Amino acid sequence: MNLESLRRDSELLRSLDEAQVAFLESVSEETNVVAGETLFEEGGQADRFYVVSVGKVALEMTSPGRAPMVIQTLGPGELVGVSWLFPPHRWNWRARAVVDTKLARFDAAEVRRRCEEDAGLRSALLAVVAEEVVGRLHRARIQLLDLYRSGS
Amino acid sequence: MTAQLTPPGPAAVPEAMLPRPFRVLSKTHETDDTVTLELASDDAAPLEFSPGQFTMLYCFGIGEVPISISGDPHHPATLTHTVRAVGAVTEAIARLQAGDYVGIRGPYGSGWPVDRAQGRDLVLVGGGIGLAPLRPAVLDVLRRREEFGSVSLVYGARTPADLLYADELHSWRSRFDFQVEVTVDRSEGGWLGDVGVVTGLLPRVDHDPAGTVAMLCGPEIMMKVVATQLVNRGVTGSDIYLSLERNMKCAIGLCGHCQFGPDFVCWAGPVLPFERVEARLRVPEL
Repeated sequence: MNLESLRRDSELLRSLDEAQVAFLESVSEETNVVAGETLFEEGGQADRFYVVSVGKVALEMTSPGRAPMVIQTLGPGELVGVSWLFPPHRWNWRARAVVDTKLARFDAAEVRRRCEEDAGLRSALLAVVAEEVVGRLHRARIQLLDLYRSGS
Repeated sequence: MTAQLTPPGPAAVPEAMLPRPFRVLSKTHETDDTVTLELASDDAAPLEFSPGQFTMLYCFGIGEVPISISGDPHHPATLTHTVRAVGAVTEAIARLQAGDYVGIRGPYGSGWPVDRAQGRDLVLVGGGIGLAPLRPAVLDVLRRREEFGSVSLVYGARTPADLLYADELHSWRSRFDFQVEVTVDRSEGGWLGDVGVVTGLLPRVDHDPAGTVAMLCGPEIMMKVVATQLVNRGVTGSDIYLSLERNMKCAIGLCGHCQFGPDFVCWAGPVLPFERVEARLRVPEL
């Protein structure tokens, strides 16, 4: 899949050099999901990851007897899935399309294999994913403060 | 010889401390705990104000609270206040009905520096009830939209049910010259919008950081985090304005109840540049 247009919006792709993006192109494909469709389930094997091209994806936790609880939505350019990079390579959340969504889907197993041989790619991916995770942690902490609660 | 005792005359009340009676024209329920009141004085004298200013709203027999004006500055004949019921006075205000009276002093304080954004990009970020003080700025800017570069509003609320001015947000989003991004902290289905904090939406905002004026209103932690992120993106600290909230009593810079470091918020503020208050926003004792 040609990632050139997606690269403008994606921090992940912008942080990689041409050769690294070319490799990711070779292990990617365009995928379209309709509103409500699940990209991956909590506990499932994290053998892929996505970057949103158009649309919106919700990360949510499910529990018996109640509607799924959405913790975050991800839009154009954003990375869907980080568990593929860290053992045990299992999803911690469910990802579901909120609206009809177009994404780039990457073969995580192939990327991990290449990372074993290519320290530069491994380092670049770890750096950008770590930055993304730190950003999400910071935002989640602010959410935990419940700043808009009445009387706060 | 005994001294002649005479009763004191009535104390002189400075005009600035004298409320004017305003009648409630209408009440709109925005959310479970928030109402918008439209008010008018019986003498029909308009209450001219700048976006971002506040009045002291007196609920007779209960008390007086500072409330930002949330109406259209181009329609000063009607005074609009959006009030969240969080204490004795605001709960009493929220119970008012059309025809009831309140006392109004003001307007007071510094407003949003809307004209400073002329010819530049404008980013407005509101959280929770913080959209109310930004609304006059939005209405002012949209009335003379061609005077500004890109204009964006990022608004965060607790849940979809807590969004203020929902119909107006839809209307604003339908414009091609106004980027509106809305997010909520939590959702359990039925909501097709964004979930997450407002900072997560800032990268989507189309603006030139070096040529941007930003106006923020919401919980102080939210404003601090947003302002810091805007600075990290290249917006100058002196171009970022925050609306601060403190315990205002006199509203004319005399009593000191609203002191925030070297500033009385009612007098120097409530709108102050981030550059001026940044360090103070990290001091718990303030």
